[in-house]
Amino acid sequence: MAATHALPPAPPVQRPRVLVVGTAFASAATVMVFIGLIAVYLSQRAAVVASGDTWLPKEITLPLQQTNPVLFTLLMSVVTMQWAVSAIARNDRINAYLALGITLVFGFSTIVMTSYLYSLMGADIDANIQSVLIYTITGLHLIVLVIAMIFVALMAFRAMAGQFTARQHDGVTAAALFWYAMVAVYALIWISIYVTK
Amino acid sequence: MALTDTRPEAGSGTVPTSAPTADRPAILLGSGDHKAIGVVYIVASLVFGVAGWVAMALWGGHQIGDQNFLSESAAATLASSSRLGLVLLVAVPLMLGLGTYIVPLQVGANTIAFPRAAAAALWTWLLSSLVFVVANCIDGGIGGGRPEAVSLGLLSIIGVVLAIVIGTVSVITTAIALRTPGLTLDRAPLFSWAMVVGGSVWVLTLPVLVANVLLIYVDHRYGAPSEYGVPAAQWEQLSWLTTQPQIFAFAIPGLGLVCDVLATLAGVRQAQRNLLLGFIGAFGVLSIGAWVQPYFYGDAQDELVFAAMAILILLPVLGLFGGWATTLRSGRPSLKSPIGLGIVSGLLLLLAAVAGVVYIITPLDLRETDVYSLGMFSLVMASVLAAGAAGVMYWAPKMTGRSPADAVGKLNVLVILGGGALAGLPLIVLGFATKYDGIADASDALFGISVAGDALLALGALLVLAALVTTSHGASVDADAWGTGQSLEWACPSPPPPGNFGELALVRSPEPLLDAAEPAEEA
Repeated sequence: MAATHALPPAPPVQRPRVLVVGTAFASAATVMVFIGLIAVYLSQRAAVVASGDTWLPKEITLPLQQTNPVLFTLLMSVVTMQWAVSAIARNDRINAYLALGITLVFGFSTIVMTSYLYSLMGADIDANIQSVLIYTITGLHLIVLVIAMIFVALMAFRAMAGQFTARQHDGVTAAALFWYAMVAVYALIWISIYVTK
Repeated sequence: MALTDTRPEAGSGTVPTSAPTADRPAILLGSGDHKAIGVVYIVASLVFGVAGWVAMALWGGHQIGDQNFLSESAAATLASSSRLGLVLLVAVPLMLGLGTYIVPLQVGANTIAFPRAAAAALWTWLLSSLVFVVANCIDGGIGGGRPEAVSLGLLSIIGVVLAIVIGTVSVITTAIALRTPGLTLDRAPLFSWAMVVGGSVWVLTLPVLVANVLLIYVDHRYGAPSEYGVPAAQWEQLSWLTTQPQIFAFAIPGLGLVCDVLATLAGVRQAQRNLLLGFIGAFGVLSIGAWVQPYFYGDAQDELVFAAMAILILLPVLGLFGGWATTLRSGRPSLKSPIGLGIVSGLLLLLAAVAGVVYIITPLDLRETDVYSLGMFSLVMASVLAAGAAGVMYWAPKMTGRSPADAVGKLNVLVILGGGALAGLPLIVLGFATKYDGIADASDALFGISVAGDALLALGALLVLAALVTTSHGASVDADAWGTGQSLEWACPSPPPPGNFGELALVRSPEPLLDAAEPAEEA
């Protein structure tokens, strides 16, 4: 009788991760919208400054003490998002839930702080082209932030339903990728609008 | 094909027998099947194409003589809307439809990536397109006179572009992440490769159009309007989409499509394949034009980069022509309409690329009016229509399981070639009018010829539709309808069942079907 050997199962075919690839393209498209808007902002600003005028009218106030905490909050959310990815990759679900929850809290804080910034700005959207540009860019960023929060929340619910494992956690990775893109866009806005003024 | 692997997404390898088919309207509406989605894109874009070229002809007719039948504002709105419509409602969705249908088959996937997102993109595109048309009909086009309708029109453009980006992400993710084992990206059929290149350029540049439209919308809807939303300034901010180099981005999938058509119908492996992959990639990089926005960056067309891109983009087109000639010479091409339509597509694109090189010669003053650019635009749009027609005639047997009437396709070769040349070349000649008075005197005749060309292109779109619809009278075909199929779409039944493939062999070359037919050579 021939001896039989219990062979280990064949390794699965290595395939690129569909959700991560798709999210990478979606993130690139999102970033390009902001690059287009910020390019317009900077070119308009350069034209006004070149003509000898100041760019921001006196009635518009952009206090850095309000925008800096927003940036730091979002930078901290990058840490917590990466914490979630590494936790789910180690099958440490408690830490993953905690990290995703804190990320969402940071996102909510950003919405609150930006809303307060709008109340400080002191200019209506129809006041001048500067207002149009600033409200369009920062308002769109808020919308993208809300989309990113929905994405993270959905992945958190799926994680709680037991859908992700140490070997397959593409959903959380994809949400993190989109979140990082959103934070990078805010950093660009912070430098271009709030710091440069 | 020595080794057979069960593909992961094939599951058990069984094909559900009671699954929905694309020919049932009720199921079509809710389908996430890439084949149903692709067909709707193709048919709808061709219908919009007929309307778009008729609109172009109307605008051209308005330019003839003093008997203008449109008000100046209506003519300006018609000009901008028809150009925007031809890009976003015709050229891109036509290629996207072919990509949605064919790319999953070419890469051996059972489905498209994110099928529900792809379906949502289709219906968002279709609904937004209809809103765009309605808004234009009630004076709500770009720079239109009815504020509420203009707001509606601007929102519809954002909807159209978002839908296109989502649909494109589905297609290129399929080509990148769902390829069957062994089918590396450099082995992927050239149409799939071209969709990856073209789709990537679309995903990176069309969002910039969203940024422009968003600014116009916010200023128009909520602002004074102070600058961006002023009617006279609206089209200037968006016109970069229809001028070089960006306009070439919409022709990228057609380049790969022509490569596949010629190699298959010539019955030979594509010569110098890697070189052609490089040419398509280079063409894509050189067509990135979101930075050429004269409204915000007045000197953009005087930049060295702009001139270099205009010259360099001619090289990949010439290189592709060389590759196509080599393929046709080394094979035995059957004189079928897809070959003719493919060559017409290449020729019209070549003409546009040559015109683009002339455009950068500053002393010719070609930038003083936009009529020269409009001529280039007409040539590129005709090229895309020809490529789309070639794709429909080539893959119609796969889509319907029956042969299309090749005579209709052959007639369309003449119609689209004539239409493209007549629509574009007179406007290009008219671009020299600022330099030569004699040309200005002949402007009525030149616009008249261009109108005839636009009418022929509308007829061309109608003929493609007719060829697709009348396939039901054609003879049934096998899986490999042409008998010389090379890529995986010809390995599944015609029309493909839900799930496309059961099991696929490990792919070992860019032409897996030829490998299977030549086992001795492979051994």
